[in-house]
Amino acid sequence: MPKLIIDDIPVEVAPGTSVLEAARSVGITIPHFCYHPALAIAAACRLCAVKLLDGPVKGIQMSCALPAQDGMVVSTTDPEALKMRSLVIEWLMLNHPHDCPICDEGGECLLQDFTIAGGHSRRRYQGKKRTFQNQYLGEGIHHEMNRCIECYRCVRFYQDYAGGTDFGVMGSAGRVYFGRFQEGPLESPFSGNLVDICPTGVFTDKTGRFRARYWDYQFAPSICQHCSVGCNTSPQNFQRETIKIVGRRNDQVNGWFICDRARFDKAYLNDPQRPRDPRLDGATCGYDVAVDAAAKSITEFVRRNGAGALAFVGSPRLSLEGMILLAQLARAAGGARLSYYGDPDQQQGSVAAAKLLHEENTAYVREIEQAQWVALHALDLMEEGPMLALAVRKAFLAGAQIFLVDGDPIPARNIPPFKYTAVESLDQVPFEGGGKGVIICGCGKKDPELLAQIASSGAKLVMLQPGANGFAAALLTIEHAASPLTELVASGQVKGVVCFEADVPDGLLSQVEVLASADWRRGPVHDKSPIFLPTTTWVESDGTAINCEGRAQRFERSRVAGLPLRGLDPKYYGSATEAVTLHPPRLHRKEVPGGAERDAWQVMAQLIERLGGEPVEPLSGKWRALKSLDPEGEGVRIFEMGLGE
Amino acid sequence: MIPETLKTSLEARIASAITAREAAVDVMKELQAHYGWLTDEAVAEAAALLGLSPLQVEELATFYEMIYRRPVGKKVIHVCDSISCWCADCDKIIQHLKDKLGVGLGGTTADGMFTLLPCCCMGMCGDSPAMSVGGVPYGRLTPELVDEILEAERHKV
Repeated sequence: MPKLIIDDIPVEVAPGTSVLEAARSVGITIPHFCYHPALAIAAACRLCAVKLLDGPVKGIQMSCALPAQDGMVVSTTDPEALKMRSLVIEWLMLNHPHDCPICDEGGECLLQDFTIAGGHSRRRYQGKKRTFQNQYLGEGIHHEMNRCIECYRCVRFYQDYAGGTDFGVMGSAGRVYFGRFQEGPLESPFSGNLVDICPTGVFTDKTGRFRARYWDYQFAPSICQHCSVGCNTSPQNFQRETIKIVGRRNDQVNGWFICDRARFDKAYLNDPQRPRDPRLDGATCGYDVAVDAAAKSITEFVRRNGAGALAFVGSPRLSLEGMILLAQLARAAGGARLSYYGDPDQQQGSVAAAKLLHEENTAYVREIEQAQWVALHALDLMEEGPMLALAVRKAFLAGAQIFLVDGDPIPARNIPPFKYTAVESLDQVPFEGGGKGVIICGCGKKDPELLAQIASSGAKLVMLQPGANGFAAALLTIEHAASPLTELVASGQVKGVVCFEADVPDGLLSQVEVLASADWRRGPVHDKSPIFLPTTTWVESDGTAINCEGRAQRFERSRVAGLPLRGLDPKYYGSATEAVTLHPPRLHRKEVPGGAERDAWQVMAQLIERLGGEPVEPLSGKWRALKSLDPEGEGVRIFEMGLGE
Repeated sequence: MIPETLKTSLEARIASAITAREAAVDVMKELQAHYGWLTDEAVAEAAALLGLSPLQVEELATFYEMIYRRPVGKKVIHVCDSISCWCADCDKIIQHLKDKLGVGLGGTTADGMFTLLPCCCMGMCGDSPAMSVGGVPYGRLTPELVDEILEAERHKV
């Protein structure tokens, strides 16, 4: 363990740690542009210069490319190092336009921060700046090449890390250009990370440009709800609208990056068409009125048909809290049936996976990266868990063999960033004890026997769930012996349903009576239900999600519920009596327009109270350990709490 | 379109390399010799032969100054403007070339004979200022010598 001294602070770090990281570990930020912890070292920007006063090497050195060694005495504040850094900044700024006020990166720009921190505040260069033509790179990313400082982060990420081949660096010397061979949309499904990784404003998020500055955003730690990998994100909101979604570091799950679906697929959150008002028999009403009506309707139905004829239906879209309370609600209604899955096959696979997985056999992302072989079992990985493809790529680059077992041909748009061999069955994968291999499969729609066979192979396992919170749905299904809705209806037991963020298959809706439904999106259930209770999406609610490896992670409310201010319907500020609204409008209100939504679990808690139950705290009893979950932490695998099967 | 014979020889060259990428420069040079410059079509053909994307070939093509991504004259003049030649007043030679040929840097003469390009050090610092015409190196240049060289090169086949 090398021991060194940085700015008079003794530091001890693991062998191979760079001086820059060693300094960071004691809270000293050495300015840097090209260095990024996830990428290979380029030492291209020359900004992280420090002076070594004593030890094996002396003088000015680049701290990102210098491994810490015993006896080093490092100064980050030596006048020579300070001078070097300020000159490097000045040099990097020669061609950079002074257009911060009209640059979308302004306020969250590394170049701004380090230019000021590096002591360069007055321009001496009087010459012409070199300029470039920008390229159209698709609907996700805007290209502004003039701002480039040639740190090579984008190309190192895009080609080396993410395996893209259609974006790179062209030219040489002062003509270096980062772009494509010809204009066109970037092909990599991870291209959005260029926005996060570019230290300046070359790549900005086209879907949210010029809407707000960094200091305007409301944002909070969140968990992506598109698949069961559970990547960590930070939705950035402004005036009740999700402007951008950026990646949030979690070394146990997604590292630094997120896929483009997580980043760009957000229109549904801001959709003014989202059902936001409680409705009773087709008319808008107050929330409590609707809850009262729902409770009354449930009581009435149970009195007429017995509790056994009523099912409370959830889905893997619910948060863990919602799932727990759904079971309590079914009990409060006199022992009604419970269902988290519509489709029996999905429930069967999801539950089987949750039963089979435990601490020893469930792969960590790190284990995928270090695997000797990876088998994808009948899986389109880019569809079901894109971020895992980057972990598999790391293993592939380190020499691991990748197999696609019994898979359908992968469509062209989903070609993963690694080469694989297609085989017909697991027997053709050279196991060698399996200890260093990982099998990745989707568990929805899979035969439990097949899953058990995969699990008995001795390899580490990743079983992707059929929904973002599928693992939690499986745990609750096991705990409360919940049944798939299709079976409940087919057997003729269940005649009425109350739906919470449930996606009920179309064929079933004609066979049951929908008493009430709660959701944040419009669906067939919404149209058929006499009582509708609007709920909040994951951006507007606090909750817990359990990803496919059983990792419980907390997401936090990052904005209040309500209609986005932009494009707000004039009915919210227009006059009801005057033809022309007086100016300024005087329409007094105390609540947010369209902000009546409540978290699904809170609606359930209210219903439980209306039905005569005790008020309940979702994370109590065996779930109490999750109450103290740190949203900014790495999450916790539930096996450690004895919550796995 | 490249002739089948050329394609076969390029494939053989690539097959003999440890990684396809290391044959990229040779492939680009051969295609350039065939077309006169590295056309967009040639970039796509090189990419197909090497198993790279067109962008990845473009990255290499635009890095090397002896690969031409635009049409050039019959003979390309590379005149050095690096430090040693600069000390030997290459600026005067470059100005003379511009005047003599009637083109700016990067330009091609009206008769399509010469294209004038500045270049990095060619390793002829001992004979600076230096240039190469159609691949033939010339050193210790003076304006008079430049005139002779251009005249000779114009009539050399």
